[in-house]
Amino acid sequence: MRLDRRGFLQQVATGSAVLSFGGLVPLPLLASAEKTRAERILVVIELQGGNDGLNTVIPVADPLYRRRRPTLAIPQPDVLPVADGMGFHPALRGFADLLEAGQLAVVQQVGYPQPNRSHFESMDIWHTCLRKDQQRPDGWLGRWAERLQGVGGDAAALHLGPEKLPFALMSRSVRVPSVRSLEEFRLRGAEDQTFREAVQSLAEAKRAEPDDLLNFVASSTASALTASERLATAAKVAATDVVWPQSGLAERLRTVSQLIRSGLQTSVYYVTLGGFDTHAQQPDAHRGLLRQLSEAVQALLSELRGSGDLQRTTVMAFSEFGRRVEENASEGTDHGTAGPMFLAGGSVRAGLHGKRPDLTNLQDGDLQFSTDFREVYAALLERWLKVDSAEILHQRFSPPDLFTV
Amino acid sequence: MATELTAPELWQPFEPGVDGQWDLVAAAHLFRRAGFGATRQQLEVAVRKSPLQVIDELLDGQEPPEYRSEMQTLATAAISGGSVAPLSAWWVYRILSTPLQLLEKTVVFWHGHFATGADKVTDPQLMLTQNQVLRRLAFADFHELVQQISKDPAMLLYLDSASNRKAHPNENFARELMELFCLGEGQYTEQDIRELARCFTGWEVRRGEFRFNRFQHDTGQRSFLGATGVLSGEEAVQVVLRQPQTAEFIVGKLLRYFLMDEPAGQAELVAPLAQQFRDGGLQIRPLLRTMLGSRLFFSRQCVGRKLKSPVELTLGLLRCLEGSTNAVELAQALQQLGQGLLYPPSVKGWDGGRTWINSSTLLGRSNLMRRLITSETTRFGRLSLRDFLSARGLQKPEDMLSELQLLLFAVPIPVTARESIVALMKSGSDAAVAEGLHALCTLPEFQLC
Repeated sequence: MRLDRRGFLQQVATGSAVLSFGGLVPLPLLASAEKTRAERILVVIELQGGNDGLNTVIPVADPLYRRRRPTLAIPQPDVLPVADGMGFHPALRGFADLLEAGQLAVVQQVGYPQPNRSHFESMDIWHTCLRKDQQRPDGWLGRWAERLQGVGGDAAALHLGPEKLPFALMSRSVRVPSVRSLEEFRLRGAEDQTFREAVQSLAEAKRAEPDDLLNFVASSTASALTASERLATAAKVAATDVVWPQSGLAERLRTVSQLIRSGLQTSVYYVTLGGFDTHAQQPDAHRGLLRQLSEAVQALLSELRGSGDLQRTTVMAFSEFGRRVEENASEGTDHGTAGPMFLAGGSVRAGLHGKRPDLTNLQDGDLQFSTDFREVYAALLERWLKVDSAEILHQRFSPPDLFTV
Repeated sequence: MATELTAPELWQPFEPGVDGQWDLVAAAHLFRRAGFGATRQQLEVAVRKSPLQVIDELLDGQEPPEYRSEMQTLATAAISGGSVAPLSAWWVYRILSTPLQLLEKTVVFWHGHFATGADKVTDPQLMLTQNQVLRRLAFADFHELVQQISKDPAMLLYLDSASNRKAHPNENFARELMELFCLGEGQYTEQDIRELARCFTGWEVRRGEFRFNRFQHDTGQRSFLGATGVLSGEEAVQVVLRQPQTAEFIVGKLLRYFLMDEPAGQAELVAPLAQQFRDGGLQIRPLLRTMLGSRLFFSRQCVGRKLKSPVELTLGLLRCLEGSTNAVELAQALQQLGQGLLYPPSVKGWDGGRTWINSSTLLGRSNLMRRLITSETTRFGRLSLRDFLSARGLQKPEDMLSELQLLLFAVPIPVTARESIVALMKSGSDAAVAEGLHALCTLPEFQLC
C-alpha cells in the first residue's frame, strides 16, 4: 500500500469540502398506489440524555424548589406562568402559545417503578416496556407496526435522523426505514436501468442457506430500495410560507411535515434531539435545547394547520428520565427519575395532566412518578392510533383522557 | 467442524487439517477479523506459516521506526489547525497504511469502549493523546489501561469529572466506569455510584493536563462494592477491577467484536475465557491470542457471522485491493455512515451488529462504495481497478469475480447474483468493471464478514 505523505497533507489542507456524491438523477416516479391517507399521525420526539423536568415545567411557587436549586432555579419573574403554581421555562415561549391555543397537553411526573438511572437501560425500558432481565427483541412501536402489515404500500413508521434506528421501532418481522435525509436517501447509479434491476434482483435473490443475519440484511436492502423510490416522489410536495427556525430538529420536523403533507401513508414518524445530559453548566445548554424543541414543534403545527393536517397529527415528546432535584457543584444536575411528557396537536386535551411534582416526598433525592409512561402509551395506542394496547405493552394499562376525539 | 464441542473445547487452538483447512480462504477470514483485510500476496505468505505464527506476528510485530515517526509528523500537522476533523482523517490514513492491522483494529475497539467524542472534547491534542494511550496499551494490562484512562484529560472533560467537587460530587464518570468500562449495567447499586464518585473528587484538568486538587478531594470514609475506607481514585479503580464480573464483561465484548455479533450461549462461551483472563491478571494480549487462534474462530459459528462496520467495509475493500484514496473525504463519509472515528455517538460507543444496518445506512454504504470505487483519487496498486485486476492476469469477468469472492467475501455470492454481475461487467471497460464491483458491494453478502 502506497500513500504518499504530501498527498495526505494536501488532503488535510483542502479537506473542508464535504463529500459530494454529485450528479444525481432522480429515480423514475413510482406510480403511487391508491392514495388512502394515513388517518392519524403520531410524531415522536425523543429527548436524549435525561431532560431536567423540574426546570422545564417548574413548580415556581414551591420554596423547596429554590432551596434545592440555589444557582439553577429559574427566577420567578422569568417563568412563564401556566396554572396551579406551575410555569414553563422562559425558552418554552412556543409551548406557552400552543397551550394558549389549546394545542398542548403536559403530563407531569411520568416514570415507572424501580427507576433505572442508566441512560441506556432507562431508554431501553421506555422503548421496549420491558426490563433488562426479560427477552427484548423489539420495541413498542415495532410491535404496533407488526399489526399493520399489509395495509397500504408505505412503511407504517419512519425514523428520520443520522443516528441508529431507535429500539422502539425494532420488530422481528417489519423493517422500519431510517432516513438520514431525503436527498441522500436514494441509490446512486440507479439511473441506469440495468444496474437498478440488477441490484433489486440481488437484494431479493433467494439465499440457499437461511441465515438470520444475512436474511436481515437482505430484507433490509429490499425495503430500503422500495422506500427510497417512494420517498423520492413524496419529497416533491410544495414548500409553504411558514418560517422554520434553523436547527437540526426543525430540519427533521420539516421533512416530517413534507411527508405528511404529501399524503404518504406512514402513521408514525420518529426523531430525536440529543444533549439533555446536563451534568455541568446546565443553564445555557438547557435553554438552547428547550427553545429548539418548542420553536420546531410550533413551526410544524403551524404548517400542518395550513394544510389541514393539524387535527390528524399528535406530537409526543419524552425523555428517558428527569434529573436529581438537588443541583450538583458543576452548575448541573445528575440523573434522576420522573419528568414531564408533552403531547401537541389539534386533537389533544390541552392543559396540565397528572400530579404536580412533590418535593417533600422524594426517594433517594429523586421525584416519585405519578403516571406510568405506559399509561400514556396506552392512550396513544387506544385513543389515538385506535389499536388494542395490552399485547403491545405486555400489560393492560388504563389510558388517561388526553384527547378530545 | 465436527459435532458439538463444549465451550472449553471451542477455545482450544485450531488445528489445521483436523478442525478445517488452513488455506487462502481461512487466512482471508483471519485477516478480515484480526485486521481489515489482506491482499492476495499477504494471504499466500500467510498460508505457508501456521495460523498461530501469523497471529503472533500480528500481536507482536513492531511498526518500523520510520513509519512511526512519519505518523507522528502527520499527526502533528493534522492537529496544527486546532480542529479534530483532520485528526480523524489521520487515523483513517493510519488504518489504511499500518503494517500492524490487529493493533489498529484493537485501538478502534478500545476507542468504542472508552468512548470519548470530539463533539464535546474539541481540543485535537487531547484526542490525540488519548488515542496514543489506547495504542500504547491496546494489548497490555487492563488495570493499567483503566487507570490511565481514568486520568486522561479528554475522558475527564467528556464525562464532566473535570468539575468534580467535594461538596457535590459529579456522578457521571463513576457511573460509566462501572456501567460501561468495567462491569456492565446492573452490577452495582445507585449507592455504589454515589460513594464511588466521592473518590474522584478533586480530579481535574488544568491546561490540558490531569491534576489532583487536594482541596476539592473528599477525605471522608466511603463504602462501595464491599470495600470501605478513605479510598483514593486509584484505589477505587482497583476495587472496581477486582470484581469478578469485569472479566466476563470485557471478554463478552471482545467476543462480539472479534468473533460474532450474536453468540448463542454467550455465558457458557465466555466463562472459560473470563477465568483465563482473571487468572492471567487481566492481560489482554494472551486473551486475544486464545480467541483468534481458537477452533471457534475458524468454525462456521464464526465465519460470516458479523456485520461489517463502516470502517471494516471501506478500509477492508481498500486494503484487500491495495487501494488508496482521499482520507479526509473518507473520514467524513464514515461519520455519515455512523462511525466517525473520534466521534462516537455517545459514551456507550458503537453498539455494532444489526445497529449498523438500516435503510439509510444501506443506501449510504452502497453510495459510498460507488463513490470510493469511481473517485479519481482512488487507485488500486496505483492503477485503475480494471488495470489492477488485469495486471494480475484477471481479464474475464468470471475470473475477476472469483478473485473478489476470495478477497472480499466471507460467504458465497449467490449464483444468480454472479450471473447478473458478470453481465454488468461484460464490456470489460473501466466503467463496467467499476459498476460490477459496485453491484458486488451492494450485495447483502458483502455486508457480512
